[in-house]
Amino acid sequence: MTLGYVLRRIIVSVPTVLLVVLMVFVAIHLVPGTAVDMMLGTQNYLTEDQIRQLYHQYGLDKPLVVQYFAWLKNTLSFNFGVSLRTGKPVLQLILSRLPVTLELAALSMAIALTLGIVLGVVSAVKRNGFIDDIIKVFSLIGISSPAFWIGSIFIVLFSGLFRGFNIFGYVPIDRDLLKNLQSMLLPSLTLGLMICAQIVRVTRASMLDVLRQEYIKTAMAKGVSRTVLIFKHALKNALIPVVTVSGIQLGYLIGGTIVIENLFALPGLGRLLLQAVNERDYPVVQSIVLFVAIMIVALNILIDFVYTLLDPRVELK
Amino acid sequence: MKTLRRILKKPLNIVAIVLIFSIVSMAFFPKFFSTHDPLEMDYESILEPPSRKHFFGTDQFGRDMYSRCVHGVQKSVVVAFSSTSIACLFGTALGLISGYYGGLLDLLIMRVCDSFFAFPTLVLALFIVALFGNSLLNLIIAIAIVYTPIFARTIRGSVLSVKENLFVKASKTLGSSDLRIMLFHVLPNVSSILIVTFTTNLSTAFLTEASLGFLGLSVPPPQPTLGGLVAQATAFLATAPWMALFPGAIIALIVLSLNVLGDALRDLLDPKR
Repeated sequence: MTLGYVLRRIIVSVPTVLLVVLMVFVAIHLVPGTAVDMMLGTQNYLTEDQIRQLYHQYGLDKPLVVQYFAWLKNTLSFNFGVSLRTGKPVLQLILSRLPVTLELAALSMAIALTLGIVLGVVSAVKRNGFIDDIIKVFSLIGISSPAFWIGSIFIVLFSGLFRGFNIFGYVPIDRDLLKNLQSMLLPSLTLGLMICAQIVRVTRASMLDVLRQEYIKTAMAKGVSRTVLIFKHALKNALIPVVTVSGIQLGYLIGGTIVIENLFALPGLGRLLLQAVNERDYPVVQSIVLFVAIMIVALNILIDFVYTLLDPRVELK
Repeated sequence: MKTLRRILKKPLNIVAIVLIFSIVSMAFFPKFFSTHDPLEMDYESILEPPSRKHFFGTDQFGRDMYSRCVHGVQKSVVVAFSSTSIACLFGTALGLISGYYGGLLDLLIMRVCDSFFAFPTLVLALFIVALFGNSLLNLIIAIAIVYTPIFARTIRGSVLSVKENLFVKASKTLGSSDLRIMLFHVLPNVSSILIVTFTTNLSTAFLTEASLGFLGLSVPPPQPTLGGLVAQATAFLATAPWMALFPGAIIALIVLSLNVLGDALRDLLDPKR
């Protein structure tokens, strides 16, 4: 049944993905000039004939519809074309940068979820107390501050407090795990705290909703200990909105990695995207945008799946 | 009026309103608020810390950071406000049509919205600005496109429940046109949700604009933008941290005030609470 559900969800998201592909294609073709024009730039030493040949080589002399289906076929078979600036296959570029972004995203999400849920629960349990107020202010500042600003403050603080702390640059995970984590600490802390702020708010609201329900009173009357009551009875049911919000935050997370990677000079996907944007390297830009969109659609299917683990009553339809 | 009075009961809300008011007046009269020309370089006073002469210190060219911030605020306000307004206009129209007529049209509009939601806000904005170049107008259009589906979907959801009301059916029986029903009967009943959505999205639009500015894709230099000022400051974090501190703090204050106001409005206007 679950396998059937996953298959059905994938089939349902096919139109979305196809629309996404179509939108990216149309957007790219709204731009005046073709890939060949971009490649040639302003200094053009080729003859008309050679240019025509280039057009033919890239299939740009064919009707737009034919071009679209050729591109669609290539895209769906993960053939993203070649970077105009480096001449490397775009897929290879993406895959070489992906681990950095994935690590940053995973670490940030881990920090955000752990800290967010703990603080949210504390905030709800100590409702309207002093600690609750502090956590509320903290989360309000978190959702309001730009990530690059918080990151800059961290850089100033850390470079002032810990001399010799390796803030910038990136050490691959397979070279030196400890150094890798050190280079990832500030970036993932920055991004993690931003997302944590959202999660705190949702966890708090959701916990308060659950704590008001009858079954909690029953459990309390039965003499269930406070810890078990909060973590086993209440939190598990309160987590569903948290999962929803974490899903919505995925997009923010990906956007955040672009900003954070550029602030901390991490060689990830976001830095590649910005570089490609600045160099007008359209095959790279469109592929990354597509790649991210498809990844988000896939992750959303995964999140729907997590619901059932939390609440068996949620039917997968 | 009653709503306004209830909002003004909380001191935090008053602070937020005062802050928003001063930010908006800064945007309208940047010359009045700034102490220096934001582009004027002064090599006698490079990277100076905050002082009575330069409230926020100076940058590596000796430009007054305070005046640059004031002019940056103007760009942020213009971009965030106009893009959210455009998104609100088109999104509401789409949401009204989608929710009111339903059927194939609804399916089509919502599918397109779904596809837009597959792109992270910043990635989509970056993509649009990358394709069409970074001018003020393109920036506004890019952010407007990103936020339109959010309005469309929110409004559609409310329209679905409002249109089931008896007064809508009565109006239809009396022979009112669809346009009339949508504008005079449905729209007023979704207005409170519209106000809340507008406020919260306005605050995220500020953040998106600031992030694009930080990535160097807002209005091109030497015109200052708040995000761009922080980006410029990252090279001097060790020697002149104030360069990053102030512009970032202004963004945070703007967004914070809007969030506080948004929360207050939601508490008052959302019938579910």
